[in-house]
Amino acid sequence: MDEQPTIIGRSIPKKESKDKVGGTARYTGDWNSSGLLHARLAVSPYAHAYICSMDLSKAWEVPGVRAILTGESSDTLAGEDLRDRPIIAKKKVRYHGEVVAVVVADREDLAKLAADLIQVTYEPLAVVNSPTEALRENAPLVHEELGTYEHTHRVKPMPGTNIANISKLRKGDMQKGWLESEVTVRQTIAFGPSDHAAMETRCALAEIKRDGTVVIDTSSQAPHAVQRYVAQYFDLEPGQIVVGTPLVGGAFGGKASIQLEPLVYLASKAVGGRKVKLQNMREEDLITSPAHIGLEAEVKLGATNEGKLKAAHITFYFDGGAYSDKAIDVVAAAIPDCTGPYSIENVHCDGLCIYTNHPYASAYRGYGHSELTFAIERAMDTLAAKLHIDPLELRLINAITPGDTSPSQTLLNESNLGDLPACIGRLKEIIEWDEWQAKQVDEYTIRAKGISCCWKNSSADVDASSGAVLLFNRDGSINLVSGYVEIGTGTKTVLAQILAERLKMDISRIHVKFEVNTRTTPEHWKTVASRGTFLSGRAVLEAAEDAIAQLKAIAAIVLRVEPQDLQIGGEKVFYIADPNVNIDIKDICYGYTYPNGNSIGGQVIGRGHYIQRRRVHIDPETGRGVPGPEWNVGAQSVEVEFNRRDCSYKITKAVSVIDAGRVLNRKGAEGQVMGAMSMGLGFADREAFLFNQHGIVLNPSLRNYNLNRYGENPEYTVEFVETPCVDAPYGARGLGEHGLLGMPAALADALSRAAGVMLNQLPLFPEYIWRARMRGTPP
Amino acid sequence: MISFDFEYYKPSSIREAVDLHQHLSRQGKQPLYYSGGTEIITLGRRNRIYTGAVIDIKAIPECRAAAAGNGTLSIGCAITLSELHDSGLFPLLGETGAGVADRTSRNKITLGGNVCGRTMYREVVLPLLLTDCSLEIAGPGGSRTVPIEQVFQQTLRLQPGELFVRAVIDEGFTRMPYAVVKKRKQAAIDYPLVTIAALKTGSGIRAAFSGVCAFPFRSRTIENTINNKQLPAAVRAELAVKELPAPILSDIKGSAEYRGWVLVNTLFDILERLERMS
Repeated sequence: MDEQPTIIGRSIPKKESKDKVGGTARYTGDWNSSGLLHARLAVSPYAHAYICSMDLSKAWEVPGVRAILTGESSDTLAGEDLRDRPIIAKKKVRYHGEVVAVVVADREDLAKLAADLIQVTYEPLAVVNSPTEALRENAPLVHEELGTYEHTHRVKPMPGTNIANISKLRKGDMQKGWLESEVTVRQTIAFGPSDHAAMETRCALAEIKRDGTVVIDTSSQAPHAVQRYVAQYFDLEPGQIVVGTPLVGGAFGGKASIQLEPLVYLASKAVGGRKVKLQNMREEDLITSPAHIGLEAEVKLGATNEGKLKAAHITFYFDGGAYSDKAIDVVAAAIPDCTGPYSIENVHCDGLCIYTNHPYASAYRGYGHSELTFAIERAMDTLAAKLHIDPLELRLINAITPGDTSPSQTLLNESNLGDLPACIGRLKEIIEWDEWQAKQVDEYTIRAKGISCCWKNSSADVDASSGAVLLFNRDGSINLVSGYVEIGTGTKTVLAQILAERLKMDISRIHVKFEVNTRTTPEHWKTVASRGTFLSGRAVLEAAEDAIAQLKAIAAIVLRVEPQDLQIGGEKVFYIADPNVNIDIKDICYGYTYPNGNSIGGQVIGRGHYIQRRRVHIDPETGRGVPGPEWNVGAQSVEVEFNRRDCSYKITKAVSVIDAGRVLNRKGAEGQVMGAMSMGLGFADREAFLFNQHGIVLNPSLRNYNLNRYGENPEYTVEFVETPCVDAPYGARGLGEHGLLGMPAALADALSRAAGVMLNQLPLFPEYIWRARMRGTPP
Repeated sequence: MISFDFEYYKPSSIREAVDLHQHLSRQGKQPLYYSGGTEIITLGRRNRIYTGAVIDIKAIPECRAAAAGNGTLSIGCAITLSELHDSGLFPLLGETGAGVADRTSRNKITLGGNVCGRTMYREVVLPLLLTDCSLEIAGPGGSRTVPIEQVFQQTLRLQPGELFVRAVIDEGFTRMPYAVVKKRKQAAIDYPLVTIAALKTGSGIRAAFSGVCAFPFRSRTIENTINNKQLPAAVRAELAVKELPAPILSDIKGSAEYRGWVLVNTLFDILERLERMS
């Protein structure tokens, strides 16, 4: 039989695309029904203040108001590793935009009207406006009661400070590393919080049925985690809670946090369990709901004169904002990969998760890695300049390869590590690096290239798993059910490809269920961390094996052979020795009926699951452990056209070469990488919350929070190297985030080269570059 | 979502519109004339604007007319910025308008809305200031036609209930060499860091500015300076910036220092360019 894969790698269009472009795809916010009640929020205009009093009387006068909830409505503290966040602010507010009250009314406009009429008296407090400020002696405390919060065993909050947790990594012998270093550099970088700005603003609905069943519909990347946490927060049984998620209109990590669900559960409870809907307005989605983490970092590198890295001392001061929520884990995820994709024997790294009076952090595409990459890559550029070594050459000299150990001290091999030298080599050719790196075009214009490398493992929970169910239809087609949430990545189409490949059948005969419902869909841990294809793909393959075994068992009886004599393809089961002896799957997938009416078998239901193999907890003191199944790598570049006079610039080209392991869907993979690159460039060149001295966000709307628009994009080039990860489905490596990781660093490198000054802050606004040039920091 | 209720009226004549405005004002409804509605929608949903009644002026023929004849160009206030640009009637005005917002918004934003709006930049007024045009204004006491410099000082000074109907421009200006440059903080679509519109007339270069101070303006003092050919263009540009009518803006789009720097360079470029043109 022909074992050559046929559909793997082909650019199969996403199965949901027609509904999306036709406008008929349904999202959580499309939910509507008679009797539905609506909730709207009142939010804090201060970043840090005591709530002195609340006057709800005017709000209650609005007709149709059913309930008004305030901080007094619940004693629950929410949080993942550390439960520090009231569902509605209580006694004090800790960031601009924090929820202080929720109004439930018959109509959305009435709820909004009433919410706007709530009068709150605040007593403003001194604010913590950056990690640096947070660590100052006598800094105001964001959480005075830090010592009283519940937390997991891996977290050690530091009461009396603004430090929620410190994650550490210790590898090798630092003293030896510095002794072997002939050259050292020190580099600092900084950027503030920004946002995901997904097209779909977050939305959740909740209803409590008479029998106690809680039904939650939510635009979440993690419906199964919503079930778990809502149960934990309100002392419910997880099985009592049903969480449903249809298509999600972009998430980027922002919908991995659990925020609106507990709010809307409380709202429903306050109105006797009636169904309540809460959809963020854009302003709330930007600042009230969790954002992208900020970072200040200091990197010290030591190397030989030949450029071999010997020591790295790294300190990350992450701006987790007002609540630790996912920030603690984002920091913890950055630590095991803290050096970037370079082999360094001696590493000392501390990652501080710091409280400030900023919007709090959710996950963000890359989960700590675009952040650490910016710090490391800027330090690498500084080192290259000091050593007078070509920056791409310096990266090649230090590129981590099989036989090296990761910072978490995992021994690397060809399977658990992508091929960085191959990526660098191909990048060098594409961008013609050796031809020129910067050149003057006219009086004011300089063209320049910048480069960066990146890597990432997944750092999912050690027991992160995924399940899949295959339900055969009477016509032999298959319904594929997976807990993976379709957030726009096209992964469910890729799962259909994986199944079609394994069963050697036409992909049009595989029907994918897009909605996830915790009562009917097997769990997929969370749709995060570029692990969808790996985890759910393996589950689908196992489910396929299960279905094949069932089909062979019944076919063996009908065809009067043994199951091991049979093979499957083209929706038939064949006898290997004589393919003319076969039976259509449609004749056995609902049982087989003999001519006289006797029947055997039944509906074939394939079942599979996958749990990550041989993961080891990361030791919080040393960073030792196994953070995930594979480190994927990439090399990236940006080219700019820079105006030396006013420091404005245009990004003309952007290139990514990434080790895909195996490309499963070419256009899909290119689209994922390109989209991530676009997002990374936006993060680098314009996206940021602009705070005043009082911690107020001055641009909480898309009027002033600018995003990369279509037409501003550079020419994108995406290429893949293919070094299979042997235990991944058909060898495919994680791909969803990598395109973003190195973009900020590559842009900063290109602009530093063009402007003649080191640029180490984001966003790279022309005014910032102009100021850096005025100060004249030499490169 | 706008949480306050308001009434909607669509009169078909200027008289009817003005009468409605008076009538609704007396009822305390704080009526607003409107055409595109972009500000009412975006500010209304955030409670930064309130009205109990809107008077849609799109059915009033004078407001929707744009035509050239007898040496003048008349442009109704409800002509959208997209129409203004695509018509090619007055390229400087069309291109200045095309720098505002994005195309989808410009399909709604009108000449009158931009000139009378609450957003401080009001860039579309710059070419009107440069051409010494006349504005036809209708009010409870009837219509009047006034030179723009008499009624536009930082904002359009309308009396209560008055409606800016149309601008009447001497057609000769539409064929003169011009330049309009909009510099933004970073994004391709944004408010201005600096916008300069300039026109090369027989008697010298005229220039008007937005984004520089907290209001758009044209300054005769600056025009005297930039037309002093005794000095090199770079020096004239430097001097002009010292003659601004108010402090340079310093906000999230840019600091006063950077704005000043961009302003000098942009003005210099425009002078160089226009002086080369005949």
